[in-house]
Amino acid sequence: MICLGRTLAVSFPSTSLLCCPCKSPYSGTEKFRYGKFPPFLRPNWRLMASEPGSSSLAGSVDSDSPDINASAGFCIIEGPETVQDFAKMELQEIQDNIRSRRNKIFLHMEEVRRLRIQQRIKSAEMGILNEQQENELPNFPSFIPFLPPLSSENLRVYYATCFSLIAGIIIFGGLLAPTLELKLGLGGTSYVDFIQTMHLPMQLSQVDPIVASFSGGAVGVISALMVVEINNVKQQEHKRCKYCLGTGYLACARCANTGALVLIEPVSTMNGGDKPLSTPKTVRCSNCSGSGKVMCPTCLCTGMAMASEHDPRIDPFD
Amino acid sequence: MPGALLYVGCPKGNVAASVFGFEDGKLRKRRRGRLPACRISVVSSAVANPAARTSEERVYEVVLKQAALVREQKKTKKKTVDMEGMSNWDLLNEAYGRCGDVCAEYAKTFYLGTLLMTPERRRAVWAIYVWCRRTDELVDGPNASHITPKALDRWEQRLSDLFEGSPYDMYDAALAHTVSKYPVDIQPFKDMIEGMRLDLRKSRYQNFDELYLYCYYVAGTVGLMSVPVMGIAPESKATTETVYNAALALGIANQLTNILRDVGEDARRGRVYLPQDELALAGLSDEDIFRGQVTDKWRSFMKEQIKRARMFFDEAEKGVAELNAASRWPVWASLLLYKQILDSIEANDYNNFTKRAYVGKAKKLLTLPIAYGRALMVPTSKAADQMRS
Repeated sequence: MICLGRTLAVSFPSTSLLCCPCKSPYSGTEKFRYGKFPPFLRPNWRLMASEPGSSSLAGSVDSDSPDINASAGFCIIEGPETVQDFAKMELQEIQDNIRSRRNKIFLHMEEVRRLRIQQRIKSAEMGILNEQQENELPNFPSFIPFLPPLSSENLRVYYATCFSLIAGIIIFGGLLAPTLELKLGLGGTSYVDFIQTMHLPMQLSQVDPIVASFSGGAVGVISALMVVEINNVKQQEHKRCKYCLGTGYLACARCANTGALVLIEPVSTMNGGDKPLSTPKTVRCSNCSGSGKVMCPTCLCTGMAMASEHDPRIDPFD
Repeated sequence: MPGALLYVGCPKGNVAASVFGFEDGKLRKRRRGRLPACRISVVSSAVANPAARTSEERVYEVVLKQAALVREQKKTKKKTVDMEGMSNWDLLNEAYGRCGDVCAEYAKTFYLGTLLMTPERRRAVWAIYVWCRRTDELVDGPNASHITPKALDRWEQRLSDLFEGSPYDMYDAALAHTVSKYPVDIQPFKDMIEGMRLDLRKSRYQNFDELYLYCYYVAGTVGLMSVPVMGIAPESKATTETVYNAALALGIANQLTNILRDVGEDARRGRVYLPQDELALAGLSDEDIFRGQVTDKWRSFMKEQIKRARMFFDEAEKGVAELNAASRWPVWASLLLYKQILDSIEANDYNNFTKRAYVGKAKKLLTLPIAYGRALMVPTSKAADQMRS
């Protein structure tokens, strides 16, 4: 896992797999975990010197610690006075911090992958059965209601059923029906008679067969697609967090979703009663940092009912 | 559990009674009836024997405190807390609406039950439900692995803030509005968070005393939270404590029913919510539970457990008649429906490992008119006298 510490000084946006895409002029700005890298890749002393600025973060965000959650300051649930919103950092510092954390996530994911490999190997050695079948395509529910879930074996059955149905309908419509002179109107009437008995306008009986079959087919296809879409929406809804309805945020109660708190200053009416009242000053709400929304603690701003580390966290300003 | 509560020693050998109480229902009832006198007589005595303080006694303290709070609030007009941002009624109505949606999503039968209440009470119960559910999901939900004890402390801080009128988000705001309208005490909520902390650490319960405390934390508190919302009938002659005790008993009964229904499911997650000493007495162990086979020993053990749960239901029934007329029907309905789960466990031949005991829709619908009938029974002084004895 070589990170191009030296070459970063040339500041080309490197997007190679395990390297931090570093666009900053700082060399070696990324704060790597000490133990793993040779000395020349250790965190840049220059950035460390600017650390005091970020030490105002309740002294706790030690990005050298491998497990941020376990360190003293950070906590998933935030209160009005304890929001660690990094407000005291400069813009450049913030960008560097974002980049270094994203890099860390990237590297952590890679480590998780390697750990999983070892886990598989060791449990295979110890004879522990791996419960999840990770071989072929997993089972996923069908978008069409009432149909069994799909998998690769199932797919063949689906294909077979589908083709045979289509073939059957074509044979029926093309061969059987004309041969048997099937009249499918009420009581075995023909199309013209059917229109007549239904008291519909007679022009319907003169519809061109090609037009009729096209219209019928199109209506069928469109309604089938609609059903599939509706089912899809229902399933996606099922997966979204019910508390925030997928937005990832709840309305801030302190500022009632506006983001601003109105400062009420008592105005004396003793003297100067003829001066008009000035508009009340507003201050940014500290609960939500002015966005009017606070984090949904159930889905942790992912909007999903079951959040994983892969789910992107929603920005409040979207 | 609140350290602020004064421990009162009751030197009547209650420890023994609590262990063997389940075998002799009468002994239990008599002992519980005796407790009030015990409390009053030794209220100023020094701590007699801390080790003898059972969970039941500790829980009873909380009940007394809550009842006292309600009485106090009846005398003094409740100070309206100035809540910032609460003048925005649209947001509040939307918050309550969302509470209802969440309730309908996660607890359908319960939601249908709330529809039997008055609109104001319904909203209040939804707000309480959503808070309880969110708290539960912190430790038990899909994202629970990221929760630290510190997070629970923060959550408790948010609870205190909302009780003081500074809710953090919209669901907190709905609850803050509810507690400003009804005399709900903060202690049951704090106890519920304590129960969550307990759940993080414990997966086995040595005796019924520990289990009782756990059931109080997660379900008894809900009973205590909802009594102020349901309201006690003005014409009732029962003491506030007895009604709260009945609500507590209902919560405990519900939780015991849950436990008995979900033995298999909990075992699969490595948890056993049955008292270890009682299992040992019946000749069973955790292995038997994990194996999941119904034996005669299991059947007799389950019979005793179900009997105890039914006893708690009987305790609860005494108090339901004292509630406000509008609230009796839904509470009766939920009591009867939950009691039927015990019947269904028996009907499954006590196989709670693989079979899910549930009450069919038809039976549920049939319970509603029965509950209505029982709700028509008004609180009588005779019933109140029986409760006081």
